Amino acid sequence: MEKQLDLLQGTLDMLILKAISLSPLHGYGILLRIQQISKERLEIQQGSLYPALYRLEHHGWIKSEWGESESKRRARYYRLTTAGKRRLQLEAERWNQMTAVIAGILQTTPEEV
Amino acid sequence: MNMWTRLRSWTAAMLCRTRKEREMDEEMRFHIEAHAADLVGRGVAQQEALRQARVEFGGIETAKEECREAVGVSCLETLFQDVRHGSRAMLRAPVFTAIAVIVLALGIGANTAIFSVVDAVLLRPLAYRDSDRLVTILMNGEGPVSVANYIDWRDQSHSFAAMGAADYWSPNLTGVDAPEHIAGLKVTQSLFPMLGIDPLLGRVFVEGEDKNGADREVILSYRLWQRRFSGDRKVLGKPIVLDGNAYIVVGVMPVGFHFAPFWATKAELWVPNAFGARIHSRGGNSLRIFARLKDGVSLTQARAEIASITARLEQQFPGTNREVMLTPLKEKVVGPIETPLLVLLGAVAFVLLITCANVAHMLLARASTRQKEVAVRAALGARRGRLIRQFLTESILLGALGGAAGLLLAMIATRALIAISPANIPRVQTVSIDLRAALFLFSATILTSVGFGLAPALQASSVNVNDTLKEGGRGGSEGVHRNRLRSLLVVSEFALALMLLIGAGLMIRTFAALEAVDPGFNPHNVISMIVSVSGSKEEDPGRREIFYRQLIERLRSLPGVQAAGAINHLPLAGDLWGWHFEIEGRPKPRPGEKPGAVYRMVTPGYFSAMRLPLIRGRDMTEADNVTAPGVVIVNEQAARQYWPGEDPIGKRICFDDDTTNPAAWLTIIGIAKDAKQDSWTDKATPEAYLAAFQNHDYLGDSRTEASKHMNYITLVTRTAGDPALVASAMKEAARSFDRNLAITQVVTMDGVVAEANAQPRFEMLLLTIFAAVALVLAAVGIYGVISYSASRRTHEIGVRMSLGATRGDVLLLVVRQVVWLAVAGTVAGIAGALLLSRLMAKLLYGVQPTDPATFGAVAVGLGVVAMLACYFPARRAMRIDPMAALRYE
Repeated sequence: MEKQLDLLQGTLDMLILKAISLSPLHGYGILLRIQQISKERLEIQQGSLYPALYRLEHHGWIKSEWGESESKRRARYYRLTTAGKRRLQLEAERWNQMTAVIAGILQTTPEEV
Repeated sequence: MNMWTRLRSWTAAMLCRTRKEREMDEEMRFHIEAHAADLVGRGVAQQEALRQARVEFGGIETAKEECREAVGVSCLETLFQDVRHGSRAMLRAPVFTAIAVIVLALGIGANTAIFSVVDAVLLRPLAYRDSDRLVTILMNGEGPVSVANYIDWRDQSHSFAAMGAADYWSPNLTGVDAPEHIAGLKVTQSLFPMLGIDPLLGRVFVEGEDKNGADREVILSYRLWQRRFSGDRKVLGKPIVLDGNAYIVVGVMPVGFHFAPFWATKAELWVPNAFGARIHSRGGNSLRIFARLKDGVSLTQARAEIASITARLEQQFPGTNREVMLTPLKEKVVGPIETPLLVLLGAVAFVLLITCANVAHMLLARASTRQKEVAVRAALGARRGRLIRQFLTESILLGALGGAAGLLLAMIATRALIAISPANIPRVQTVSIDLRAALFLFSATILTSVGFGLAPALQASSVNVNDTLKEGGRGGSEGVHRNRLRSLLVVSEFALALMLLIGAGLMIRTFAALEAVDPGFNPHNVISMIVSVSGSKEEDPGRREIFYRQLIERLRSLPGVQAAGAINHLPLAGDLWGWHFEIEGRPKPRPGEKPGAVYRMVTPGYFSAMRLPLIRGRDMTEADNVTAPGVVIVNEQAARQYWPGEDPIGKRICFDDDTTNPAAWLTIIGIAKDAKQDSWTDKATPEAYLAAFQNHDYLGDSRTEASKHMNYITLVTRTAGDPALVASAMKEAARSFDRNLAITQVVTMDGVVAEANAQPRFEMLLLTIFAAVALVLAAVGIYGVISYSASRRTHEIGVRMSLGATRGDVLLLVVRQVVWLAVAGTVAGIAGALLLSRLMAKLLYGVQPTDPATFGAVAVGLGVVAMLACYFPARRAMRIDPMAALRYE
């Protein structure tokens, strides 16, 4: 297995928003979803997931409700709100801009300066 | 995100706090269990799967804490938690809590009580409009002023918006059930508008009411109105009889109005002051002058103007305008009491500091027993700040309890303080625990709590988790650092207690010196009363002398009475009248340079009743009456000062301005021992005793202005037993002549002396109480530290003993520690006392602020207490069984 990457500062919120934009998920489900999409290449501190969820909910970007899990247990499901959708879009745009700029910088050769 | 969502989330979080907690719990448990289930699915054993899931999840408490913080209620939330936790911790150690609360209540309560006195007496402005602009103008800053001077100052100055003057006047209220001698003032019309306080009923005096013949109005104080007229509004416009004349009541002042604020502080009625013929008089000083500075005029400017006016007048009328001083009214009122009160405030603050140190001790000792609890919490993810916050919450909780109990104590203490306070403390009746005192108490509580809680909190939270938990049941080890902190606390307690004890010691020595003062007379078994003839049929000049003589005669015949006589003003209790005289055969002195003396008028029998010895010569007799040549007795000081190297007996002096009248010359017949006059600690000043039954002013048949002020007599009797038992018989004897006689100030001479020394006694009493509390707290502190460290060293002592140390060695081990603490505390305390005792120099009498005997005795005494405090811990240490000690460890 490839070495896992530590999550970049501030990107966990965006990943959570993305994960639940696909379908409502409970906390553990979000963890699994991110690991699945990232093909297990991202290391997420499980404990830090919940403060992030509480923060996002507090901001009104996600909403939680209690439902039943696949194993027939009570679990708290999170889904994206309209504000959350806008937020995800905004963050994704910023991210793309940022990576483009940084990639540009990194590809710079001595001749171009 | 808008305010609304934020608020809603916050309130929801607050309201459903417990539900949220439960859900958070459930959610995380679900996560861990789901993860574990997945692991089990991959073939991991159940137990191992659960463990692994937990490890991967990380600190569950930390996560929860961060979740709470994310929602933003953590501050309040944790406060509630801490308070809950703190209360439980306090309930678990009820004795500890009770002691700490009592100690804190003592410290905080005493401080609040003293603060409320300082606030009411010193800090608050006087209860007049813009009272900081009010000043008083007096001779030498205290003596009264003549009418002509007042008028000149008023008319020639420009610095004042208004100026007013007051004369003391205490008329008899008659025409009512019980005639009463009432303290009052004659005031100029300008005075009430200047003070700016509206009457409760009616009006103040209007223009022209202080002119001659139009001066028969009276304004009542609220208290007099309630006491004598039952608060009846109909009294307005009605006449009341004062000294036999009818005065119309025109106004009633509101409750809490007092005037004058110094000197005639008990005045309960005010009448207009018509100066009459006195308008040209520059002698007969009796006025106190009050003035309001004009807007924009500074104190310095006003002083400069008064200085130039009085300099001019002094040239014009020599000897009449010297050393006139303008003083802010508040300074005049509170100035004399400022130092004593500030000293007491400082002393009580020291008590609070000691209290803090003591509670800090207790918390430190307890913190070490709670190390494990702290370590466990730290291991579960509590951060240091969080632990400190929790410890501080606990100490504030403790402080709050102490503060609440202190409030109760302060309420009781202020009442007690008012009751025992000397009469010369102005405004002391207005002392109460009000909002300001409550605010003070609140801040004192918070500061104290942080003060005694911070060090233990910092210490306790810096616990090393690994070491503490590994040590198992031993309850943690005692760091050198912590011991140093505790020692520092003990040393400061010791030093503070030493300073307080030195202060108290100096006051006790002062009081002893005061007790040892010889007043010249023997105050024991003497009782006096003032009988005023004003408004009664005995006022009649034809009857007055006979009445006085018969009354004294009747007092002598009372059972238990050994001697009786009378005087116009009792020494130490009454007024003090001074006058100038000329000595026969000497060149006429220049104006203002005549010899002067306090003069009193006495009847035969006064000297024997007071046991005031005559050094030489003879006493007055019944034969020294109006038909006989005038006689006078002078005191030793007058003899020394005015007849140095001569025998004054047989010499003649004249108090009258008109020296041509042969009847005005008095022959000196005796020399009396110097007696205290106005104040207990005064140096002797010249004094002359005139024969009351030779004085026409006193007998009421002179028709002079002065005679109006001489319509009362102070009777003095010496008794065989307790003088207070004769009081009612004396009053009855006087009343049997005339029911309309006003009888006041029935006091024993011992009482008068006690009153004269009331202020030093008050200061001594409070300082001694504070010092005693400090001493107990310091002793407890030393005991605590020594017994704690001895018990911590049980193991070490056991080892030493098993290696051959004797009990003496062990004793030395323990005592050495105390000696170091005591020496350090003594050195610090003496240094502090040397610096601070100078501040109380004004309170002392007959002892230096750096009195070596006091310093030495206190240092030795406190050292002995320190040794006693370590006696029990030392004895316990000596009795340690080495085997048991080693096994225990």
